[in-house]
Amino acid sequence: MSNIDPKVLRHKVENINTLPTVPGVLKRLSAVIENPRITLVEISAFISNDPALTTKVLKMVNSAIYGFPGRIASVSHATMLLGLNIIKGLLLGVSVFELMQKAMSGLYEHSLACAIASRVIAQKKGLKEPEEVSVAGLLHDIGKVILTLSFPTEYQAAMNEAQGKNISIFDAEKNQFNATHANVGSWLAEKWHFPRNLIEVIECHHRPALAKNAPMETAIVHMADLLVRARGFGFAGEIFVPEVNAIAYELLNLSESDIKDVLREMEDNMESAEDIS
Amino acid sequence: MKTIVIVCRDIILNNSIERSTKGLYQSVIFNKMPSALDYIYNSIPNLIVINVINDDPIAVNIINDIKTDPLFQQLPVLAILPDQFNIDHLETLMVEDYIWRSDFERDFLARVNLSIFRSEKIVEINPLTRLPGNISISREIQERIEKNKDFAFGYADLDYFKPFNDRYGFSRGDEVIKMTGRLILGIVKAKQPQGSFVGHVGGDDFVFIIDIDLVEEAATEIIKAFDSLITGCYDREDLTRGFIKSFDRKGKALHFSVMGISIGITETRSHPFSHYGKVTELAAEMKKLAKQFEGSCFKSDRRQDKEADKRIVI
Repeated sequence: MSNIDPKVLRHKVENINTLPTVPGVLKRLSAVIENPRITLVEISAFISNDPALTTKVLKMVNSAIYGFPGRIASVSHATMLLGLNIIKGLLLGVSVFELMQKAMSGLYEHSLACAIASRVIAQKKGLKEPEEVSVAGLLHDIGKVILTLSFPTEYQAAMNEAQGKNISIFDAEKNQFNATHANVGSWLAEKWHFPRNLIEVIECHHRPALAKNAPMETAIVHMADLLVRARGFGFAGEIFVPEVNAIAYELLNLSESDIKDVLREMEDNMESAEDIS
Repeated sequence: MKTIVIVCRDIILNNSIERSTKGLYQSVIFNKMPSALDYIYNSIPNLIVINVINDDPIAVNIINDIKTDPLFQQLPVLAILPDQFNIDHLETLMVEDYIWRSDFERDFLARVNLSIFRSEKIVEINPLTRLPGNISISREIQERIEKNKDFAFGYADLDYFKPFNDRYGFSRGDEVIKMTGRLILGIVKAKQPQGSFVGHVGGDDFVFIIDIDLVEEAATEIIKAFDSLITGCYDREDLTRGFIKSFDRKGKALHFSVMGISIGITETRSHPFSHYGKVTELAAEMKKLAKQFEGSCFKSDRRQDKEADKRIVI
């Protein structure tokens, strides 16, 4: 059972200032920063492939200094508003995650595939800002990064418990922390003034029926999460593929060919991203 | 040449000041603060250097009085302090910088340069967007005209900004202004990092200077970015409805659609300009034309080009 005080947990989470990335991204980072001819589109595409860089940029643009608190949920808008110089400066301050390397790179791949799947479904459903949904897909599991970072031993124990008792990582987290990665991720997203819809997707992606403001976006990321696990991209902390939520399934109303399209596009995009992690 | 007013009755020091600024600045020396006043009021120098003598309350009071007028608030004052000066008293002096008498030979010129540099930098920055304002805008245009450089000039403003402000209050309006300034700056600087310029005329009016070949691309991107960002600034109910209810300038209740951005463009290749006023006038005319179309668009005045009236349809 958990011996972590929820207040302590939340306090520790809210004091995190930056998330680390994986070594492969860091290697490509210097080429991006040193390229004087890089365009806003290119640098946005690079950032959108990494949860750590994306949170960094969103945190900055939604902070009071730049004056858009809670308004910006897409990387291309953020880079445009911050400008190339600030973006490059931000990228300089990225650190690497050495701890639990293997689990982290699996999570990285999982998040990336989920971003792609979310974007494709959002396009299929005709949402106005598919990029924002893609960002939500990329960041839906940042709570896992945070927990791994702040409580490496406890999180390993949760993963072992999930595997050993054949329960979901979501439930194992509850046992270990009295909170889940969805809670933890949304605390930080709230603290960093992320837009309301994005916070909600992070908070509710395992329970899409609870989403009030962004039910569609939440359902999309929920579905993308399951499709990515089923297809076997990356590793989300458990081998178990949870069941799809009935309400989300109905809301999305995807045909078999829609799902095939999502899987195909995910595969095509993931091949080109394979050397990253 | 930039002018420095020096208030100092130490003849030796005056000689050193004249020597070190010779050829760089025009220095005008006065023995006493009251006699310097007339000159300062009439010609607004770039810097005042005051040699502080212990127990000279008159000079201090005069300096402080000058600086309470907004017209002179930006005028920098550099104090030369005697070595026995009690540094705690510096608070009572409205000066921007100081230098110890014993450091004079080594530091004086550098301090003068820095004081003037700083004051020019902070003149006229819009407190909201931190972008340079009209004086800098005019200067940027005029400099390019005098150097015979080709450039394009864009003049942008927002459609239906006032109703938005009335509906949601000025702090939400300020957010839109900040966002607009930031995105114009981000796009212009990304297209052309060197030699481009973005200024904030005031209110919802912005200008930018960029190479002629890049101007239409930049305008297109600004419009696209603005249109996709602006919806996030409205409340959801208003967005679903597609308009906000507000009042026009005569106080009549009306429906206003979501804000757009109108951009007027002029450039030096099609007109020989000799004065900055003409550039802004033509761009403003083009902007007026752009405003007649519903939604965001830009209009360029390449008059010999038949395609000039391009419209961006989003």
